[in-house]
Amino acid sequence: MEIRLSSVLLAALLLSGCGWFHRGDKGPAPIPADEPQPEPTIIEPQVTRRVVKTPKIKSKDFELGAYYGALSIEDFGTNPIYGVRGAYHVTEDIFLEAFLARSKAGKSSLETTFPDITVISASGRQFTYYDLDVGYNILPGEIFLGRGHAFNSALYVTAGMGEVKFADKNQFALNFGVGERLLITHWLAAHLDVRDHVFESDLFGLTKNVHNVEATLGLTIYY
Amino acid sequence: MPRLLALIFLLQAFLIGAAHAKKNSPLELVVTRPFLEMHTGPGRGYPVFYVVGRGEVVTVLYSRTDWYRVRAARGEEGWVRRNDLAATELESGDPAPIPPYPDFTAHRWELGAGYGVYNRENLVSGDLDFGLTDSLDVELVLQQAFGTIDSRNIVTIGMRNTLVPEWKWFSPTAGIGAGYQKISDNVPPAPLESHNELAYASLGARGFITRRFMWRFDWRAYYVFNQLNKSEVLEEWKFGLAVFF
Repeated sequence: MEIRLSSVLLAALLLSGCGWFHRGDKGPAPIPADEPQPEPTIIEPQVTRRVVKTPKIKSKDFELGAYYGALSIEDFGTNPIYGVRGAYHVTEDIFLEAFLARSKAGKSSLETTFPDITVISASGRQFTYYDLDVGYNILPGEIFLGRGHAFNSALYVTAGMGEVKFADKNQFALNFGVGERLLITHWLAAHLDVRDHVFESDLFGLTKNVHNVEATLGLTIYY
Repeated sequence: MPRLLALIFLLQAFLIGAAHAKKNSPLELVVTRPFLEMHTGPGRGYPVFYVVGRGEVVTVLYSRTDWYRVRAARGEEGWVRRNDLAATELESGDPAPIPPYPDFTAHRWELGAGYGVYNRENLVSGDLDFGLTDSLDVELVLQQAFGTIDSRNIVTIGMRNTLVPEWKWFSPTAGIGAGYQKISDNVPPAPLESHNELAYASLGARGFITRRFMWRFDWRAYYVFNQLNKSEVLEEWKFGLAVFF
């Protein structure tokens, strides 16, 4: 009895061992006819799309620079002036420009003739202005230097308004100008400007519009 | 002033340095039309001096207003009109990434300047606006008023609502805000108060002109918070031009 039981156990063990060898290849399981067939699953490929970054185009519509020249302050002689300027080119024709500059007035003819008279104090001789302008390139073109060089250029007109601080007074001033821009390279420009700053003054007792014309040379860089 | 000049030059040097340091891979575009014309300057009158053929690649360097500076495969550099460049393609076949003009109704930033009258005095005004939504803007305004007796610097910050933002050519606006004014005398005696806080309500209009340009009109009533025994209400109107981004 004992031998029969142990032989049965051994047979069971062996059979299970045989089953272990065949564990991989299971035959198709018989599908019971009454059970519903499972939906076929669609395998989504797990592919990450490569993000193609197109480089951004840099815009260089800003112009920044400095200028130096001569300013004729009405009744106070012609004096050196220096300043900074910044422009934003909106279209190929129109640009917006801002100026900030300083000069120092000399002596009026009244003061030179009668040295005891002072029309304005020493601190009041500082002539500073800022301007906000609109400009228009009226004559764009090219300037030729000899045979081999051509420089882009433009004759432009500007008009605007701002402040003139002179004789310790803040004055509202209009300005009108004409200038020539010459592009030495595609990023560096030379400017020749003539502008008139007009404001009301009563320094000599009579209220009048004074014209202060400046002629300046400048350099600007495009950003 | 010399210090300011030195600062400007330093800034210039820094900007040039920064521009050189940041060398991105340049944008390359394939000409798909029969040819692409390169002009000698960024303007409609400049002559065509080089023609890039179909299938050739151009490198886009930068843009200035509506023109793009490009380099052809053989090294020639010139200016290409925006619309012509927009007709090219990327090497992948996608259209050229030429950004469209900023949309007027949905633009974000506005930078403007204008002339006005503040308390019957000449006024110069500059402003910067940021659009929170299509109709609601935050505006920062810097102004200077020039009177015969005093001169005032006014800074205000406020909200402006465009009532019908989809009306392109004319749309009314309304706003409120607060600010500060500094009063300095042009002729003695010194003003009773050298500075005040202000609050304002405004009515105005705005409209599209072309490309990036718009016009603005604004009327404001300021309530001045002074220490004197009477309330002071100042009136202002101004007209200006603005550029939007």
